[in-house]
Amino acid sequence: MNGPPDNGAYMVAAYVVIAVVAVSYAVSLWRRSRRP
Amino acid sequence: MAELLRVVLAIAAKDARVELRSRTSLLSALAFAGLVLVIFNFARDATAVSAATIGPSALWVTVAFAGTIALNRSFAMEERNAAIEQLLLAPVSRGAIFLGKYLGNLAFVLVVEAVALPLFVIFFNLPLGGAIGAIMALLLLATVGFVAVGTLFASFSVRTRFADLVLPVLLLPFLLPPVLVGVQATGRLLAGRPPGEIVGWFRFLAFYDVAFVVTALLLFPSVVDE
Amino acid sequence: MTDAALGSMAAAPPASARLIRRGLVITVIGLVGLGLVYYLALVVTPTERWQGLAQKILYVHAPAATTTLVSFLLTGIASVAYLWLKDPRIDAFAESSAEVGLAFGAMMLTTGPIWAKPIWGAWWQWEPRLTLTLLLVLLFIGYRALRSAIDDPEERGRYSAVVGVMALVLVPFVHLSVYLFRTIHPQPVVLKPSEPTLPWEMLRTLLVSWAVFHLPLYIGFVTTRYGLARRAQEEAAS
Repeated sequence: MNGPPDNGAYMVAAYVVIAVVAVSYAVSLWRRSRRP
Repeated sequence: MAELLRVVLAIAAKDARVELRSRTSLLSALAFAGLVLVIFNFARDATAVSAATIGPSALWVTVAFAGTIALNRSFAMEERNAAIEQLLLAPVSRGAIFLGKYLGNLAFVLVVEAVALPLFVIFFNLPLGGAIGAIMALLLLATVGFVAVGTLFASFSVRTRFADLVLPVLLLPFLLPPVLVGVQATGRLLAGRPPGEIVGWFRFLAFYDVAFVVTALLLFPSVVDE
Repeated sequence: MTDAALGSMAAAPPASARLIRRGLVITVIGLVGLGLVYYLALVVTPTERWQGLAQKILYVHAPAATTTLVSFLLTGIASVAYLWLKDPRIDAFAESSAEVGLAFGAMMLTTGPIWAKPIWGAWWQWEPRLTLTLLLVLLFIGYRALRSAIDDPEERGRYSAVVGVMALVLVPFVHLSVYLFRTIHPQPVVLKPSEPTLPWEMLRTLLVSWAVFHLPLYIGFVTTRYGLARRAQEEAAS
């Protein structure tokens, strides 16, 4: 009850999801720009 | 004004006549409403969930789904033989055409509801008592609004691929406010609360109706005019 | 392969090609900015005492959520403008902002529950903001489905603009009805996300993140997507 709760895994999951969505959308746009 | 009313009624009457000649879609919609109610009854554990608990949800989900499938029909009928082109060539305002189609759809959905409500009362064995008038008023108010949205959306969804899919996906978000309010208000009425307690919800539905009938009326010309 | 690519590049009108190139550059800046946000949030900013590390999800969730809403709002406004002016560029922007909004919406709807599970104790609450944003994302998936179900570009523009305007009218009604719903259904007792004034280090991280999501990331995505839409329009016209 002293330290902050142990929920780092949730944080990691959220940050991974954001990175995956942002990068994969950017890649999708880039690929569409190559393929006319 | 009288001229506008005459055109609106003529278009609505035309749709009603077509409907009454074949009766296929009306009977299908009624069967559909009945089936949803039947499925709802078996989708609950009768020992754990009382009919009164699930009743309002069953009624409003039935109305929402039956209304949605009923709406595609009105413009699908006009697309056949490009009838809509002839209708648009008539020297009447776009608003009159919209209101005519809207009134026809409204009558159709209200007929479905008029049959679904007694079925609901019988199947769920609920003592409506004095609440029946207020529940009918709720149904009417909710229907007036969402049929306006549905008529507008159906006027262009029939011209897309997957029309049967596009209309429900677009329309269901607009059904959330009336269905939510309808379920809550019906639940209260069935619990024997006085109608005076839910005046705010009637007012909410009335605002919804005004907002969407007016918006749909204003947007309809954008759909049909190239 | 290279010849075909060169041929199409040479044939592509310069305006959209330049837009796409600029958009991609801004997107890269946005992604670098996102890296900076990660560094600030995960390394520099202190851990909140009561919520623990999961509190740090706020730094990316809240900006993703507001960017989603702004994207959809701009699509709605562009829809009004399109019905009025009938300029295909406005339609291309509406289409782009809606799609980018869905990308941010995906971020919002995944990180939200991931934050809520440890903090509220449940993945989801039917809370007004959650309900409204979920419904908007679903509606804009429908908007996208509608667009892809119409071949004629002019019809596509008009019909989807009608949906965009209707969505604008719907928002206050959904918000109000969900609020009414809440007032009669008391919330289960949850740890309320009370919002104490954030200490400066946390506020700074949040503000930087907001700036990164709304400016380079959104603008980069939308510019690229708009360039792609313009290119498709140019090709259809030629």
